[in-house]
Amino acid sequence: MGVAIKAVNFTKRFGSTVAVDGLNLEVYEGEIFGLLGPNGSGKSTTLLTIATVYRPTSGDIYVFGHSVTREGDTVRKYVGIAFQEPKAMWVDTPHELLLWHARVVGYSSSEAKAVVKEVMERLGLWEHRRKQFYQLSGGTRKKLEIAKVMIQRPKLAIFDEPTAQVDVITKHALWDVVREMRDSGSTVIVATNDMFEAEKICERVAILYKGKLRALGTVRELKDQIPGGDVVEIVFEGPRVVVERALEKLGGVSRYVVDDGRLVAYMNKGEEVAAEIVNLLSASGVRIKRIMVQEPTLDDVFFYFTGARLGEGQ
Amino acid sequence: MSLLRDLEALLLLVRWDLARMWHRKIFVAMRVVWFAVQVSVFGLALSAMVRFRGVVTQGLDYYHFYLLGVYTSMLFSISVSNAYEVAEEFEEGIIEYHLSLPIKRRVLTIGRSIGGGLAAFLFTLPMYAMVLALMGGGPPLAVAASLGAALTFSVGVVGLALSVVLSVKSGDATDILFGLIDAVIVRLSTVFYPSVVLARYAPYYYAALANPISHFVDFVRTLFFFEEYRVLAVADPLLMLSYLLGFAAGLVSAAIYVVERKLEGGGWR
Repeated sequence: MGVAIKAVNFTKRFGSTVAVDGLNLEVYEGEIFGLLGPNGSGKSTTLLTIATVYRPTSGDIYVFGHSVTREGDTVRKYVGIAFQEPKAMWVDTPHELLLWHARVVGYSSSEAKAVVKEVMERLGLWEHRRKQFYQLSGGTRKKLEIAKVMIQRPKLAIFDEPTAQVDVITKHALWDVVREMRDSGSTVIVATNDMFEAEKICERVAILYKGKLRALGTVRELKDQIPGGDVVEIVFEGPRVVVERALEKLGGVSRYVVDDGRLVAYMNKGEEVAAEIVNLLSASGVRIKRIMVQEPTLDDVFFYFTGARLGEGQ
Repeated sequence: MSLLRDLEALLLLVRWDLARMWHRKIFVAMRVVWFAVQVSVFGLALSAMVRFRGVVTQGLDYYHFYLLGVYTSMLFSISVSNAYEVAEEFEEGIIEYHLSLPIKRRVLTIGRSIGGGLAAFLFTLPMYAMVLALMGGGPPLAVAASLGAALTFSVGVVGLALSVVLSVKSGDATDILFGLIDAVIVRLSTVFYPSVVLARYAPYYYAALANPISHFVDFVRTLFFFEEYRVLAVADPLLMLSYLLGFAAGLVSAAIYVVERKLEGGGWR
């Protein structure tokens, strides 16, 4: 798998504020990559630098092998970005804005009309085509931003918090759009502070916190790195001491709690170890009434890798 | 292929600015009406008060001098107002959007300069037509050359607006700077006072000599009233034309430098 983006010691400062600090990162071609982190963690700064809107203070980012610092004109041929804050003047209408955008990204006049209509209909924007930007709702404005990338179909599609401010139906529709873009050959980067969203659509994620990279990998890999992150809960009928003895024979259980008819065990790779526990207990004559395996959420992953605490919002 | 693509992008950027002007059509109409009042009522009243013929020239009265002057001040003012539009675009994130598009920065800057200049030029075209009618028309070559000069001048002014606004990145600084430029630069020129009159006040005279507005307005006046103005203008016609071309090319180049080497998104104050 080729490398779509390579950040090498990328640092961005705004005055005395360090927005991103020595970021080293690779995003592979054809994947949906999530940049996770709270507000102010450096996600948007990184994305805007990839799109050549910002310049690195030091280090560099390479997009399909081209430096954003020295080969910005080439980089922009590959990149399309849906900004976090929709970009339009208050008098613009969605239709004229998208038609202009389509022409700029390379469509002929007739092609532009066709692709804009198709995308606007797909996103439910067609009925709003003649409204002025200030008359649009927050969600519709967001769709307008997504539409720009859908029209462009870039080799590298960037979505900066694509589903902030949108309703749940639209959110699912936009997730489908992101997946479709990946399926049609684009590499996709999604910045989000919604862990559920990242888990739903991203194949690999990077967690940024206070400008630094804290974790990188697939969601599964990151979850498995939390010691005792999976929780297996078993409701049983049988003597407690038998259960305790059975668990002592098992490796891989970080700790456990057994009380009357209920076992809660903490471990890694819970889905594998749970099967062994069930076999052992059954062999010991314990009747299992119910079993639940709960893995850590990405929220847990975030708190584990960043060391952040609740109430510490930026 | 790449050149064609650049040219296409340039035309689209010009279209962007023209679309902006279209959204301001009511404002344009109001300015045209105000201009009509200015040249018909105030212009005639002013000309009646100023003794011009025989003082600075034999074959021309102040009204004709004033007509091309007031048109120039309007063209300058409208071109300078592009600074406020660029500032508004920065605030709304449009500049960031443009920076992210698959367009060379050089093309982006030239396109926006020509687009902004063309919009200002078209904005003032009804005013130009009014002035031409009040002057009783003019030779086609003078009309064509003056229109070309007007477009070149407004492109240069928009280049200045882009360079300054994108460098200072501040709404307040833009308001103060361009308010000042709009108010002072026109007055330190030969827009309303001929150079022979200004020659009595050295600082004023030398400011007017260096001022691109003087070169533009006197060049246009010379085109229409060659015999009278070749002795009154701030410089030789070819020198004025060279100054004008250098002014436009220099300021657009400055804007290219700012956009290519310095500009990035964010940081708007």
